[in-house]
Amino acid sequence: MPPVDFELSEDQATIRRAVAELAAKFDDQYWLEKDAAHEFPAEFYQAFADGGWLGITIPEEYGGHGFGITEAALLLEEVSASGAGMNGASSMHLSIFGMHPVIVHGSEEMKRENLPRIVNGDLHVCFGVTEPGAGLDTTRITTFARRDGSDYAVNGRKVWISKAMESEKVLLLTRTTRFEDVAKKTDGLTLFLTDLDRDHVDIRPIRKMGRNAVSSNELFIDDLRVPEAHRVGEEGQGFRYILDGLNPERMLVAAEALGLGRAALRRAVRYGNERVVFGRPIGMNQGLQFPLADSLARLDAAELALRKATWLYDNGKPCAREANTAKYLCADAGFEAADRALQTFGGMGYSEEYHVARYFREARLLRIAPLSQEMVLNFLGEHVLGLPRSY
Amino acid sequence: MRWQLSEEQDAYRESFGAWLADAAPRGVVRRWLDDGGAAEFAGRLVRDGWAGVGVPEALGGQGGGLVELALTAELLAGASAPSATWLATVLAVPALGSGTDVAAFEGEHAALLSPADAIPGAGPRLTIDGEGRLHGAVPRVLAGDLAARFVAVVDGPGGSPCLRLVSASAGVRAQTRRLLDRSRSVADVVIEGAPSGPLDVDAREFLAGCAARAAVLVAADSLGAMARMLDLAVTYSKQRHQFGVPIGSFQAVKHAAATILVEVEAARSAVYFAAASVDAGGPQSALHAAAVKAQVTAAGARVADSALTLHGAIGYTWEHDLHLCYKRAKLDEYLYGGPEAWNERIADGLRLVPA
Repeated sequence: MPPVDFELSEDQATIRRAVAELAAKFDDQYWLEKDAAHEFPAEFYQAFADGGWLGITIPEEYGGHGFGITEAALLLEEVSASGAGMNGASSMHLSIFGMHPVIVHGSEEMKRENLPRIVNGDLHVCFGVTEPGAGLDTTRITTFARRDGSDYAVNGRKVWISKAMESEKVLLLTRTTRFEDVAKKTDGLTLFLTDLDRDHVDIRPIRKMGRNAVSSNELFIDDLRVPEAHRVGEEGQGFRYILDGLNPERMLVAAEALGLGRAALRRAVRYGNERVVFGRPIGMNQGLQFPLADSLARLDAAELALRKATWLYDNGKPCAREANTAKYLCADAGFEAADRALQTFGGMGYSEEYHVARYFREARLLRIAPLSQEMVLNFLGEHVLGLPRSY
Repeated sequence: MRWQLSEEQDAYRESFGAWLADAAPRGVVRRWLDDGGAAEFAGRLVRDGWAGVGVPEALGGQGGGLVELALTAELLAGASAPSATWLATVLAVPALGSGTDVAAFEGEHAALLSPADAIPGAGPRLTIDGEGRLHGAVPRVLAGDLAARFVAVVDGPGGSPCLRLVSASAGVRAQTRRLLDRSRSVADVVIEGAPSGPLDVDAREFLAGCAARAAVLVAADSLGAMARMLDLAVTYSKQRHQFGVPIGSFQAVKHAAATILVEVEAARSAVYFAAASVDAGGPQSALHAAAVKAQVTAAGARVADSALTLHGAIGYTWEHDLHLCYKRAKLDEYLYGGPEAWNERIADGLRLVPA
């Protein structure tokens, strides 16, 4: 029986340090400007592509490094913790692990064509699953791919598609058999990796509260032609392919939330030491110091839950309970830290200049996306505790 | 909108408070709680003429309404005085006929046969035979061990509730159950063929009113316990020194005490508003009552925990009075239905789902 070991491996420690160094080249001013201008952080993204980081989990035979979710989580956590926050993390999130269904189920040709371009940063991809009429009830999507000779013709609507504006391709979930016509509701869904042909897909960015350097979009798909070769795996099996990626996604988002909380806490501590009111640093007030100390404890606890989850996944063990728990705890701890940082800054926290307002807006997102905290509790209540389905 | 206590209500609060300080000082209350002296206090309350305050003269009381009753509840809780008989009686009295209602304020306490941990009227019903004799059991009846008469809920025609009056004599057994909060008591009441008489009131209307009044009065009780705990915590935090300063100088302590004050003030505003609203019988009054029961008693339970933290280990000792209020507030949270049950009522009243 090996002892419990909390040390990072040498590779992991190196990844962490190197990512932190690279991300530090893009300071808070950079992110403030990108966010304000609603401009994709192309320089940042390119720096990470040039460093080979985008292919961290992609197999070596396609140009990547073949690392696991633990390393990917460390990467995104450090990106977020640098102050790049969700703007930085979302610019590359899909490249880091979004290709998983393609790696596992895609054709050799599809992989040869796309994966090396993900690694070198040339290919931007977005994830097209959610729809206005379906929400998290994914099997209720209605975007339909109709067979037309050797092609498919796709029609429908998608919503909350991150980075669609900037993307060349979309990993698109469709129905190839209508909900009404399948025996099991998870049947009849088909996944494609195809071009976002602007002649047939109208992309409209959604005005939103934060993470403004990376767009969130509504997609109106009108007779998009998709060749059969763009289908991932078998027809009708798309839901299963997507399901494979849900736990890793939860862990990566947890890492991003955790990093954001660390960034917020770091700034709050610095300000608490520097800012003097009533003749002493404001960090001397228990009313400010205790909440920050409490957030440190909560972030540390959430980090442990996350490390356990990624370790389980990388060791091929079931991890749904831990992945969901990590997402839940990291999102709450991250938001709470950002909220407290804002409180520590007082009025200054409300100005853009001190950056914690941006962290706050971004941290709030992670209690909603990619799934709400309540849906995590639904999962834990039903599938871990064995309570009846509550919704 | 401005609402405040009338001069008479202010005067009542003052004089009843002064009486309580005299009749139920700390040492005496502690003796009652240790020796089960609830009846002694109840007797004194009757003898000195306070039992009927807040009950209309038409019901055998001395006039006034739910605001006066809420003042009484708040003050009784502040003194940790035994109050099960008082509360059970004022809740049951609107169902009694003339004669028995006056007796209820002369020492023959009355109680509704309904479990103390459920919303009044939500409990099990008794059965009635052809000769008007009652059968059945109701667990955990507030003051069930001290009441002389019970208002029983039986199945009437078509399943609608119907009220009967039954005396605590032959055919009625009450098994006392001791509570952690020893300032109140409950008993399991078993009725085997006890004779009963009719009560000439609309059962549904009575039970609805009883629930609303119970909600307000238990919330007022919680308010009284909270205010006393704030008092104890602030006093202690000024006395107790650590690291060379009174612990009250630590922000964490100050802020916790200030948070209790906010809870107390919010509770006071809400409780008296709800009391006036229920008395006025407006369309929203049942919701107001449910809101204070759910919110104020939950706040009371939180305040109890916070006050205990502020006291440290001394608050955990038998000698200190804090545990009297702590247990009182904890029982109030669940007395006549917990916050979940009352929140359900509020949710029902909001029509969240189209009918």
